[in-house]
Amino acid sequence: MSTGNPMVRFDRVSKRYPGGKEALSGVSFELDRGEFAFLTGHSGAGKSTLLKLMMQMEHPSRGQVFVDGLNLGKLRAGQVPYLRRKIGVVFQNHQLLFDRSVYDNIALPLQIAGYTPAEAGRRVRAALDSVGLLGMEKRNPIELSGGEQQRVGIARAVVNKPPLLLADEPTGNLDPELSAEIMNLFMRFQQVGVTVLIATHDIALVERLGHRRLILDHGQLHEDALIAGGQYV
Amino acid sequence: MSDNRQPKTAATGASLQSVDTRKQLSAWAANHQLVAVETLIRLLANPLGSLLTWMVIAIALTLPGALWMALDNMEQLSGRFQESGRITLYLLPGTEVEQAQQLERRIQTLDSVSSTELIDADMALDDFRANSGLQAALEFLPENPLPSVILVEPPLGVSQQQLSVLVGKLQNYQLVDSVQLDMAWVERLLAMLALAERLIWVLGLLLALAILLVVGNTIRLAIAARVDEIRVVKLVGGTNAWVRRPFLYTGLWYGMVGGLLAWLMLIICWLLLNGPVSNLADLYGSGFELKPLSATAALSLLLSAMLLGWLGAWWSVSRHLDQIEP
Repeated sequence: MSTGNPMVRFDRVSKRYPGGKEALSGVSFELDRGEFAFLTGHSGAGKSTLLKLMMQMEHPSRGQVFVDGLNLGKLRAGQVPYLRRKIGVVFQNHQLLFDRSVYDNIALPLQIAGYTPAEAGRRVRAALDSVGLLGMEKRNPIELSGGEQQRVGIARAVVNKPPLLLADEPTGNLDPELSAEIMNLFMRFQQVGVTVLIATHDIALVERLGHRRLILDHGQLHEDALIAGGQYV
Repeated sequence: MSDNRQPKTAATGASLQSVDTRKQLSAWAANHQLVAVETLIRLLANPLGSLLTWMVIAIALTLPGALWMALDNMEQLSGRFQESGRITLYLLPGTEVEQAQQLERRIQTLDSVSSTELIDADMALDDFRANSGLQAALEFLPENPLPSVILVEPPLGVSQQQLSVLVGKLQNYQLVDSVQLDMAWVERLLAMLALAERLIWVLGLLLALAILLVVGNTIRLAIAARVDEIRVVKLVGGTNAWVRRPFLYTGLWYGMVGGLLAWLMLIICWLLLNGPVSNLADLYGSGFELKPLSATAALSLLLSAMLLGWLGAWWSVSRHLDQIEP
């Protein structure tokens, strides 16, 4: 699957927070284009830090991060927004805005990227359709259930068709059935070519789905396990 | 979501933007329009809070605006005085009427003299007797105490320099005792007006600073109320310009409506003062009329109000925006 030009590459990346705590130490890995991987580990293992480094929400103390061929260390501040437009991101607390409709929430990345309203409308409806929420455009997200809100968050993350999709505990607040549904959704995006990385501590779900798994333990990428006959090695 | 994905080439800085430039430009213009309307609606949706800010700006602008209007009128008035500036020559006591008439004729030939008038000592005494009511007292004087006087009228639009040259020449005539330029008080008035103008500038600058602070603080509160939105916008790739835009428009609206209110207040001031002022001018036999603020002045008032609102917003946004990161 390797193209020699991975979507994500971490090269001996360490992150030490001002308090002295080392969140990541010497982490190296690659994610190929169109790959689907889980990022697991106990809480505080550095999962969120790793995702934030890709978004330029944090900066590594040592090492280099590449996203879509870009060396993030060499990115000017003015280019960061354009990096973020390549990355769809889904949070546990979904970060929706309750002062506007579902439609306006999902259309936000398109407005920012400079799509015309007509084009944006088409894409928003396509995104809503892909998460199974067509017809909910005019609702306020606060009226929706937790699972529906999470799906609105996913629609917003994918509406701009980013090549990379990151999710930080996307099923954290959901029951197992809804969690499986959300994971299915992510796998469907992978099938159309999106690179997907999902941070989760839901080991049972990860084991059941069987995909590449990156395990963080106290800041170290402990194991870069690959599937061997549906089993982790 | 069945479209193909992005090309698999390594992106450079420039190719980070994926939508084509022309479309992006029209979307950018559309966004400006949208944001301008949205921010105005947002302000009008909270009329009481907005009105407070607008009134503060309006009052801060009305004060220097009214002073400016007053000064403008004073200058107009002083211009009239300047036109009537004339020179009075007091001749030596005992100068004969013939000598005085001869001098008058010589003065008439000088440059920078438009007309002259001789008031000889006897005529002056007659005038004084008729007007002063001191007729009885004057009877006791052994001789006429008044000197002959030649009034010299320079032409309109004569410069200060030409005037002082003329005064120098007149002083050199033997028969002339003293020369009085009636301009002195006009000059003092002009100096005072210049001082007043400077004071208005200082006051205006201080009040402009006050407007910056008021708008800046109002925008700071607006930013605080929209922290979540700013975080999300930055997260999904909003540039700083995008985040700044609604706040800059809000500042612009504050300035514009404040400026319009200030203009309105100045018109009201003018309406209130115009009647009494022309009444007073009539009593002095002057045709003076209070001028309202000129269209140019009103327009620059409005534009500077908008600029101040925008700058105040810019100042506030640049101070607080970097602190809000996703």
